[in-house]
Amino acid sequence: MKKNSLDNREEYYDQRAKKGLGHEIAKARWPYFFISPFYILFLIFGAFPLVFSFILSFTTWKGTGPLIFNNFGNYKLILTDKVFWQSMLNGAILFFMYVPFQTLLASVLAVMLNSKRVKGFRFFRTIIFMPYISNMVAAGFVFQLLFGSRNGLFNSILGIFSISPIPWLDSMWGARVALCALIIWAWLGYNMVIILAGLQTISSELTEAAMIDGANSVQAFFLITIPLLRPVILFCVITSTIGSFNLFGELMSLFHATGGTGPLNAVITPLLAVFGQAFHNFKLGYASSQAYVYFLLIFVVALLQLRFFNKEVD
Amino acid sequence: MKTITFKILVGLIILTFVLSACAAPAAEVTTTAPTEPPVVETAEPVVEPTTAPVEPPTIEPTAAPVEAPKPTGKITLWGWSYDAMQSTSLVDDFQKEYPDVELEFVKYSSSDTYQNLQLAVSAGTGAPDVVQIENSRLAQFVDLDGLLDITEWVQPYVPLMNAYKWVDAVKDGKYYAMPWDSGPVVLYYRRDVFKAAELSDNPDDVSAMVATWDKYLETCTTIKEKTGKNCFAFSRANNDARLYEITLWQQGLGYYDKDGKITVDSPENVATLEKLGKFWDPMVVSEEQPWTDPWYAELNSPDNSVASIVEASWMGIFLKTWIAGGTAGMWGVAEMPAFAEGQVRASNDGGSTLAISSQSQNPEAAWAFIEYMLGRENSQLRMFAYTDFLPSLESTYDDALFYEPDTFFGSENTRQIYLKVAKEIPTAYIYGPNYQLMNGYVATAIQEFATGQSSAADALKAAADRIRAETGMP
Repeated sequence: MKKNSLDNREEYYDQRAKKGLGHEIAKARWPYFFISPFYILFLIFGAFPLVFSFILSFTTWKGTGPLIFNNFGNYKLILTDKVFWQSMLNGAILFFMYVPFQTLLASVLAVMLNSKRVKGFRFFRTIIFMPYISNMVAAGFVFQLLFGSRNGLFNSILGIFSISPIPWLDSMWGARVALCALIIWAWLGYNMVIILAGLQTISSELTEAAMIDGANSVQAFFLITIPLLRPVILFCVITSTIGSFNLFGELMSLFHATGGTGPLNAVITPLLAVFGQAFHNFKLGYASSQAYVYFLLIFVVALLQLRFFNKEVD
Repeated sequence: MKTITFKILVGLIILTFVLSACAAPAAEVTTTAPTEPPVVETAEPVVEPTTAPVEPPTIEPTAAPVEAPKPTGKITLWGWSYDAMQSTSLVDDFQKEYPDVELEFVKYSSSDTYQNLQLAVSAGTGAPDVVQIENSRLAQFVDLDGLLDITEWVQPYVPLMNAYKWVDAVKDGKYYAMPWDSGPVVLYYRRDVFKAAELSDNPDDVSAMVATWDKYLETCTTIKEKTGKNCFAFSRANNDARLYEITLWQQGLGYYDKDGKITVDSPENVATLEKLGKFWDPMVVSEEQPWTDPWYAELNSPDNSVASIVEASWMGIFLKTWIAGGTAGMWGVAEMPAFAEGQVRASNDGGSTLAISSQSQNPEAAWAFIEYMLGRENSQLRMFAYTDFLPSLESTYDDALFYEPDTFFGSENTRQIYLKVAKEIPTAYIYGPNYQLMNGYVATAIQEFATGQSSAADALKAAADRIRAETGMP
């Protein structure tokens, strides 16, 4: 009987807790207090910009003065904005140019370095990871020297074989190839380390069992390792997707003379387009509406990717 | 239920990612290099410390009617050209006159200056007292309400400065900045290349050779045929529209007219672009982008250089010091080409001003500094001798310095050419509150035209339509 009443009381508290978030928070006020730095920072740097830029996206605000609303004027302007759509297209093009290749290469390298047969794997792991922590400005200058159209190293090497110089940084596709080379150089190590961490959780017995059953190492890689790595690869692909639309430092260093846009806006990304409208043109209202359209599109892409990768798991 | 929560969560994370990434300022952007200080001229030019004819209006209009106390306190200064004042000991002399004013110089590149100023103005705190702003960006910051109305202080200087320098400093009859230097455009040319092409390297002869853009093209073709060298740097796919703007300015054309009507796609503008396009077919120019290492290299190279560069007088100090310090005596200065026979051979590119931020706690001291540096002939002339920043202050123009030969330019009397040009610069509507936006779209239009993707008329029409849509200008 006594036990029963206790149950009732607990139920009563449960129900009371369900009545409102306030009660819930009050109940766990100390834990919430201890993690409050996150909420405070999120409110200032996450939630506030989120809400404020949504409001701004309906205004012509330039950074100071009153908010003057122009209804959906900004969103109408986006429909005919060639630069903005070019930037979305560039994000997609860059994604297809480097993400599959980079992810595959990172996986292969991770598997190789995970095997105990490779001598000095720590050394290679460090070397491959090193570019990720190096300075992007310096890297941009080095890649300018490599891809320079007139005196660049690559064109000089092509010259030895009497191949006419390729206008790397002076043509749309040349610029994109040079950019992808820089991205893969800088980000391969990061992705490899993530996948390597994923590999460590996979028991080697699985591949060994497959080998005993007659699979070769390539089959084991594609049929055992890759499927088991799916969540890790999904993480890499989604962050790389967002990364290719969000490129900024890479562009600013490799194409600094044009403010990061590259020849004929060949490499301008949505982030750079938004940045330009906000911080060069001082059109903060228009930039906010671009940011929201961009967010909606990339959100849809991320959901599609989740569905695509998870359909078998579901 | 669970997946929906998850999706919302993913959405929020991405949104925060996107927005917070947008808000991050370009901390690692490095753009135009700062003015570096190496000693330029060994022969100290005779600068007479003439007493300024203008009564320095340091007196605060409301406070004290008879004798105002000298300003005191600390002021902060942002910009990239203060070396011109420090290397000529003008700062020391200022401190002698105003011992109680403490100066803190913060050397930012131009892009960092603008970035930080924009954020400080928007935030309502953190702006400096004095800030250097180029004319190309000035109207934008005036429009942002970031600068102090200094009409009462600058009023006496209005008739003394180059008239066109005030265009961007004024809004609704109020003045927001004090002109520093003007940017008279000339033709810098390599004497050695002209000689190698069996052409005269005498400045007057070169001026005649490049009397118009058509004649300049002929000269360039000759140089290309005789020496294989490119005439000047004029990128196609990465064109920044600066030379096009110089060519518009000399004709008194621009991106809009005096009534604020967009003229980006006017027949005159299209014809101007088509004329410049002739330098690409056949190629007589190099494609290096301005302000990059290969561009510096081809200006500095002893034997593999370009033949010339059309640029404003402030290029002088850059050539002499960090761009082409090793080429002393190899350069000459001639007049720039006219658009057509008999037309104006003068244009403007860039030029700076000093302004006081509206957040300044000590505008009196800030104005004392600006007045001392830019309003006095002695100061302006000392900076000019060191930097080739042609003073916007016209009362300096009869000084003996303007007759001094310049050894870097083959002992040519370059300052007379700067002066001649400065007096003829027409008023043109290129800079303004929307210059950044217009320059961006026009640069893309030039790139499309240059790479054969579009005709000049179509490319400029598309740019003009976009500019009209985004600015709301007719």
